[in-house]
Amino acid sequence: MGVTVLQQYPVPEHKTGTYVIELLTKRILALGATQQGQFLVDCESYLSLPQMGSTKTVHILHNSEQPASVFSILESGTKNIHVIADGLFDLLMMKLSQHYTSKKQTKIESKGPRFELGDFCVKFGSVTMNQNFKGILIEVEYRPCVMANAVWGLLREFLQGLLGPSITVQPPQHLLSRMNEIYAPIDTIYQYLEHFSAYRKVTGLRSA
Amino acid sequence: MNQTINVDQLNSALTSLRTLRLSVSHVFETLANGLRADHGEDGKEKFLLELQELLTNVNINLRDLEQTVTGLPIPTAPFNLGNTTYLSQETTQERQGLYTQLVNSYKWTDKIHEYSSFAHSLLSQNSLKRSYINSGSTKRRGKLQSTHNVSPLQVDNVINNIDRSYNDMKITISRPYASNAVVQINLSHVLKAVVAFKGLLMEWVMVRGYNETLELWTESRHHVFRKVTENAHAAMLHFYSPTLPELAVRSFMTWLHSYVNLFSEPCKKCGCHLHHTSLLPPAWRDFRTLEPFHDECKQ
Ligand SMILES: [Zn+2]
Repeated sequence: MGVTVLQQYPVPEHKTGTYVIELLTKRILALGATQQGQFLVDCESYLSLPQMGSTKTVHILHNSEQPASVFSILESGTKNIHVIADGLFDLLMMKLSQHYTSKKQTKIESKGPRFELGDFCVKFGSVTMNQNFKGILIEVEYRPCVMANAVWGLLREFLQGLLGPSITVQPPQHLLSRMNEIYAPIDTIYQYLEHFSAYRKVTGLRSA
Repeated sequence: MNQTINVDQLNSALTSLRTLRLSVSHVFETLANGLRADHGEDGKEKFLLELQELLTNVNINLRDLEQTVTGLPIPTAPFNLGNTTYLSQETTQERQGLYTQLVNSYKWTDKIHEYSSFAHSLLSQNSLKRSYINSGSTKRRGKLQSTHNVSPLQVDNVINNIDRSYNDMKITISRPYASNAVVQINLSHVLKAVVAFKGLLMEWVMVRGYNETLELWTESRHHVFRKVTENAHAAMLHFYSPTLPELAVRSFMTWLHSYVNLFSEPCKKCGCHLHHTSLLPPAWRDFRTLEPFHDECKQ
């Protein structure tokens, strides 16, 4: 898999998310992209019960790009620990309901169309939490390159070409420490978690 | 074979052997015929004299042969015929003649090689070529060296020397198809390439992504590496030089190494990473300056 960057895209006042995604879809099709199905990334978070001592959070994420894997990230103080397992991990979490309870009302997902354009794979995701629209996340993967440091300038150029020069493109927080590492699917998951956590903190509803 | 055999000496030895055989068969022929009409009255005497003369001939020829044979160097080891030895184990009648055909075609290719080297040095005097060549190569014509038929050890040396001169480019040699080398190149975290050699001549290049498996005949699934493969073929032909094969390999590797910044360096002409129509990074490297350009920008 290639280096991927996740970018928030602003939804103007009085405009809906669907409208913005349609607009972006028209733009990328005009550039010569082909639509290759849909995608979905979802995240459910679990809190440890008080009898286990200090509260820990486990985030369970799925990505349709890796349909056979379940990604889990355990937040414990300063350090995050991740485990990549197969589909049975979901059942295991249900068994653990004695110790971890799901925060159902914060279940959050990003879904939408998926495009291929040259060596790029572009996804326009509409983010919803509990059926409430929260915003738009754009995922761009440059498949041939595995090192963020080498390809960052190229990705910025692509994003600004696609989304307009007014968009500021910064390397995601998570990638900053991993610019010289080989990119892996879990790096995309961390980026989604970063954005999902930010969306959860924002109150107020938008119209989808 | 380290020891070169003097062909002239060998030939004269074979000739004297043939003469000896001829004179011996002459003796037996005369004996078998016995007395003839032309021996006349004193047939017996004359016949014996003739026989004596013939036997003296045999003696002389035998001495000749012995002399030439002692002059021949003793081969240190049995002759190594390589894979052609197995031809002697062929049982089918119509295939037993293969060895002669093999030798003939070997002679034929050798001759072609010789002629084409002459043609090359003649043509390089005229500036028909677009690329930069030094016309000085005509001076060092000297002994023509075979470039498609060099020992694996020599190829290994050339390639290992190149490997040692780069920190971020790893070159490994394998020989999946008999004696010809297939060389794998890992260029940093950017790309992988595989080059098939025939002796010291490069015959085929395939460039694929860092996260792809290396295969000689399958193209990369990424557009950018398909483009680089295309350009690598152009470079291979450009650097091709049958008279200085080592230089050709070295120049090609230097050129390929310049792809270490394939994704990070913008095009020298338009200053962009991605070309606006192809959406490819600069996948061309100038042969001389090694500067990156988009295919569309290189003119
Ligand atoms: Zn250019």
